[in-house]
Amino acid sequence: MKRVLVVLLAFLLLATPLSSASAQSQTLDKIKEAGVLTIGTRTGSPPFAYINKNNEWVGFTIDLVEQLVIPAIAKEVGKPIKLTKKESTPPTRIPLLNSNSVDLIAGTMTDTPERRQSVEFSLTFFLTGAQFLVKKGSPIHGINDIAGKRIAAQQGSTNAKIIREKVPTAQLREFPDQPAAFQALVQGQVDAYTNDGIQLYGLKGKAPNPGDWEVVGDFFSEEPYGMAMRKGDAKFKQTVDAGLKQGFESGKYFEIYDKWFGPKGELPYPLSPQVKAYLLKQIGK
Amino acid sequence: MSYQLKWSVLWSGQSGHWLLQGLLTTLQISALAWVLAVALGILSGALRTVPFKPLRAAAVFYVEFFRNVPLLVWMFFWYFGVPPLLPRPVQDWLFDHSAEFWAGMFALGVYHGARMSEVIRSGIQSIPRTQFEASVAMGLSVWQSYRLVILPVALRLIVPPLTNDSLNLLKNSSVALTISVAELTFQTRQIETYTARAFEALTAGTLIYLVLCVGIAGVMSVVERRYAIPGLIARVGGPGGHARP
Amino acid sequence: MLDLSVITHNFKFLIVQGFLGIGNFGGGTLRLAIPAIALGFALGIVVALARLANAAWIRVPAVVYVEFFRGVPLVMVIFWFWFIIPQLLGLPLPEYGIALTAFVLFEAAYFGEIVRAGVQSVPRGQVEAARALGLSGVKSMRYVVLPQALRNMIPSLVTQMIVLFKDTSLASIIGYVDLTKAAQIVNNREIRPFELYLFIAVVYWICTYSMSRMARRLERRPTPA
Repeated sequence: MKRVLVVLLAFLLLATPLSSASAQSQTLDKIKEAGVLTIGTRTGSPPFAYINKNNEWVGFTIDLVEQLVIPAIAKEVGKPIKLTKKESTPPTRIPLLNSNSVDLIAGTMTDTPERRQSVEFSLTFFLTGAQFLVKKGSPIHGINDIAGKRIAAQQGSTNAKIIREKVPTAQLREFPDQPAAFQALVQGQVDAYTNDGIQLYGLKGKAPNPGDWEVVGDFFSEEPYGMAMRKGDAKFKQTVDAGLKQGFESGKYFEIYDKWFGPKGELPYPLSPQVKAYLLKQIGK
Repeated sequence: MSYQLKWSVLWSGQSGHWLLQGLLTTLQISALAWVLAVALGILSGALRTVPFKPLRAAAVFYVEFFRNVPLLVWMFFWYFGVPPLLPRPVQDWLFDHSAEFWAGMFALGVYHGARMSEVIRSGIQSIPRTQFEASVAMGLSVWQSYRLVILPVALRLIVPPLTNDSLNLLKNSSVALTISVAELTFQTRQIETYTARAFEALTAGTLIYLVLCVGIAGVMSVVERRYAIPGLIARVGGPGGHARP
Repeated sequence: MLDLSVITHNFKFLIVQGFLGIGNFGGGTLRLAIPAIALGFALGIVVALARLANAAWIRVPAVVYVEFFRGVPLVMVIFWFWFIIPQLLGLPLPEYGIALTAFVLFEAAYFGEIVRAGVQSVPRGQVEAARALGLSGVKSMRYVVLPQALRNMIPSLVTQMIVLFKDTSLASIIGYVDLTKAAQIVNNREIRPFELYLFIAVVYWICTYSMSRMARRLERRPTPA
């Protein structure tokens, strides 16, 4: 109630947007004051962040935040911190971050040099590549077969951009999020859906009839996943990275990986030695 | 983190083009939906008066069901729920020709048709039957009574609330962004995504809507006053005839 | 064909979480609609009285306020608050606060017009009689004009409340887990849009139809002579 009154007053006084002075770590201060870390994450990207059959909001990235990042933040600010999740999708995640609606994007965001111009990325926590999801028996086997075909992609994704550049004759249809794109594929609106391989496997695995779908094609791009934060807040990035680093060193990261991607996990996907080496190289191992 | 206003993003680069495209799409979808709504409104309003009970019941069902459910739910229903039920050739045509635009247009038109039906019906019903009887008694044919006596009054009763609902239709077209129709509000978010200039984008979109709505309302009230019949009290709907039914 | 099991399996999530607002996601259509209607109406009365004030410095801002909010789509207003509020406060805020603020401010403009028309429909003679009896401006408004005005406005008021109730579905656009968003969440996983959206259409219809039935009953109560 108090917040609503403050907002009403503020709205009346609104002439020009406020400018606030840059502090040591605004994000950490705000988190400390509220006692809450607000993350923007996905609701339809299994097994990274999705709403499962029991209508619970769970996922690999969510676990990484809860078990690695939050303890690091709590240690840094000196008090227990709770987690609030908000939905973010490729087109909305950077605006949400920049408007202070969320403090951290923790879903399936690819770390690219271009994106680094507007946001800060944490250490890479997953490595995959872009592929295609098609109906079983489709003539499409990879990026060489898609000229002239209708391809679905998420608005604002790296996959959409690459298809537009590499195969301009493909009819690219962009959708606001993964479920919308998948529905288009199910209904035959498009011939294939492009996204990062692991997400396609996750989607296929959770689909009503997994046997109807195939993931095809060699990786046509490399997709390292990172958690995104506002630019210019070095101390916050340091804290988040410290949490992830601790996870790599102590082995907790690999436990969480095993929970979701191990042989008994939601989506068995063994961690190849090259990927493991890549992840550990980040922290100098 | 400070926020500097940078109005130039609105006309440099893609933004101006997007805003224009958005405005055109808004006008297109609203115009088509309006035609559909008026047609459905007149049809269901007329069906309410025929002596055949099943047709009357169908009209009542249409009005009572379609206008009491949120427009957003209809958008999802028409876009996601209906296409799989259509024959394959129709589906293929739709998917190649902006299915989302047509779904949005139908959702908007069918929803507002149910609302306009009520406006038209109560307008016609508030004309006393005696007007018709008197004009026939004076020797006018049925057609002449409608053209010279009933319709002029009916139009003057119906036009104000109809204008109100038509403006609501225009504003409600913004709901179509949820099914990816690239109308004006969608484009303001598009500008925000690509330039991070949310304040400027939102202001531009808001101003365009204001100009459209206040403009159309202003023109219509001039038209109403010009054609008003002195002494005819237009009070369809009672107090708050300006409300959004 | 028509597979209703998707509804029975997710009934608890759709109704208890989406409609009522009891669960881990916050959310809830009723949890948003009821305060929005109450606060929107209350603010609407203030706006109407301001609109009718003699003093221009009160009246003109009220007119601008009403004309502004009636000239823009609610979706646009929701986006404004979604963007502005966290910027001003510098903090992330749950969608509930943002949605509630947007709805209350938007709908108050419409409620305000209804109340204003209602007040203006009370015959001038009533005000004059009240003043002649010695009641002050405020007292005559409170004891003579407003009660009569309110009775006249009931049909339009309830109509507007029904509109507001339906409008709460737009909160789903910013991620608020109301009935519509809950249906979207389930549909994204199960892909059964026809059954799910038809189901929530029926739920909404039951609510709004009951509201209009109640209004018709209120209208029929005899007015004091």
